[in-house]
Amino acid sequence: MSVLAGRPSSLAMQRGVVGGVLLVLLWEGVARSLALPSYVLPAVSDIFVSIWSTRALLVEAAAYTLCEAVSGYLLGCAIGIGLAVAITMLPVTRGFMLPAATAVNSVPVVAYSPLILLWFGIGIASKIVMVAMAVSFTVFLSTLAGLDRVDRRSVDLMRSFGAGRFSILWRLRLPTALPLMLAGMRVSTVRGILVAIVTEMLGAYDGLGWVIYQAVLKIDFIQVWSAIFVASAASLLFFGLLGVVERRTLFWK
Amino acid sequence: MTFGSRALPSLDRGGRALTAFPAGGVLRLAFALAAVAVVWEASVVLFGIKPHSLPRLSSIFQAMLATPRAYIDGFLRTLTETLIGFATGGAFGILIGIAFFRLRTLREMIFPVFVVSQTIPVIAFGALVVLWFGNTLVAKAVIAFYLTFFPVTVNTLLGLESVDPRQAALLRSFGASSRQLLLRLQLPTALPQIFVALRLASSLSLVGAIVGEWFGDTTGLGVLLLQAMYNENFVAIWAALLVSALLGTGFYAVVAVVERRLVFWGAEQ
Repeated sequence: MSVLAGRPSSLAMQRGVVGGVLLVLLWEGVARSLALPSYVLPAVSDIFVSIWSTRALLVEAAAYTLCEAVSGYLLGCAIGIGLAVAITMLPVTRGFMLPAATAVNSVPVVAYSPLILLWFGIGIASKIVMVAMAVSFTVFLSTLAGLDRVDRRSVDLMRSFGAGRFSILWRLRLPTALPLMLAGMRVSTVRGILVAIVTEMLGAYDGLGWVIYQAVLKIDFIQVWSAIFVASAASLLFFGLLGVVERRTLFWK
Repeated sequence: MTFGSRALPSLDRGGRALTAFPAGGVLRLAFALAAVAVVWEASVVLFGIKPHSLPRLSSIFQAMLATPRAYIDGFLRTLTETLIGFATGGAFGILIGIAFFRLRTLREMIFPVFVVSQTIPVIAFGALVVLWFGNTLVAKAVIAFYLTFFPVTVNTLLGLESVDPRQAALLRSFGASSRQLLLRLQLPTALPQIFVALRLASSLSLVGAIVGEWFGDTTGLGVLLLQAMYNENFVAIWAALLVSALLGTGFYAVVAVVERRLVFWGAEQ
């Protein structure tokens, strides 16, 4: 498992950088030497030039999308963690909640976006709801898995010292659940941005998805690529941020 | 462990809740579905819920029966796209996983690129894919493929890495070739992990197919959803949602059943 985890060795990092640089060079070379039209594959350098010249538009769109994604993400995490904790505290609800959550999730989340757009309008609210839906289920399941991982004997021990339900939750269950919970939250970051962009493409006033959609309509494929690059950078940023939060919070690992 | 891997076992739990019905459980499932249907219908009628919020279940079924061809065609079309994307993505993911396992340098050079590629919102990419491949079935399958291969690659690699080196050494000492080693020891050991990813991929490939259809097409569940949205036809949206749910759940269940057959010794989760 160590391959994908923790800090890669410096050699691995170097090779990763070399791989990335090689890819960019290959791309640039292919696009230049075959003189591919921009709707097939524009050269990387052209894309960066375009990003720089339309930076005002792109930064604003990225900020808009990130704002939607982060709000929806926080809401979704709160719902997911809240539900998981509620189920743990009231085991009676489990038999009902788990199948219900699974049933809602059996429809691919993007399929809900037409309905959500009609319900909440094409403003920012519909995107927040969509991101929250996409994020909450993953966070819910991983938090629940984490909370369930608690050793029975530890619970019994704490109980024998007179600990109540809430102190068991706060001092034992949540810290035990934290690694899985955070892993779920980290995976959800990219998903959250993706869903925000998808929903924007179906209807929005601003944002990266909207920019991409407009560029497609105008057959401006360099602009499409620019927006893709910016979206990818935003996702990486968000993902990296959660990675830092995770490392800070799980200091004992 | 960066992307899916650690959260995947937890997804597994939800999945099991859905598919782990023992033999007699089919009846219970049917009963539960009937109960949900009755509660749905009754609460809409009793509380006077507007179709805008939630239409009656019976009117949704009526809408489906009024134009069954559209839904059947859409179902089949989306199913085809999903299956092609899933099969190619799964196969590619497993092959690349094995290649990464064998060739460390290759992995260290390309894996980061793969990780970055997954942060590209595939939907944005979809516009380009449709442009490259035309508005065809292939374009949608490519999008489904793109969403599918990465989790499979990661989990194949993780599964292969989890092989006990002493077992490999033992087999080798009996003269096993590296091909035998792969087929007899490494792949079977990795299989539970691979299936965790395949189950996740089953729903991801459906997402890819549906979203791919939004870039313009005439048949498919994604098209039905989009048309219903433009017409503000809530009954039609719900009808398309239910058919998507049927497709998603059915496909997932099939993968889970295949998993139980192949990984008969059980995943160690």
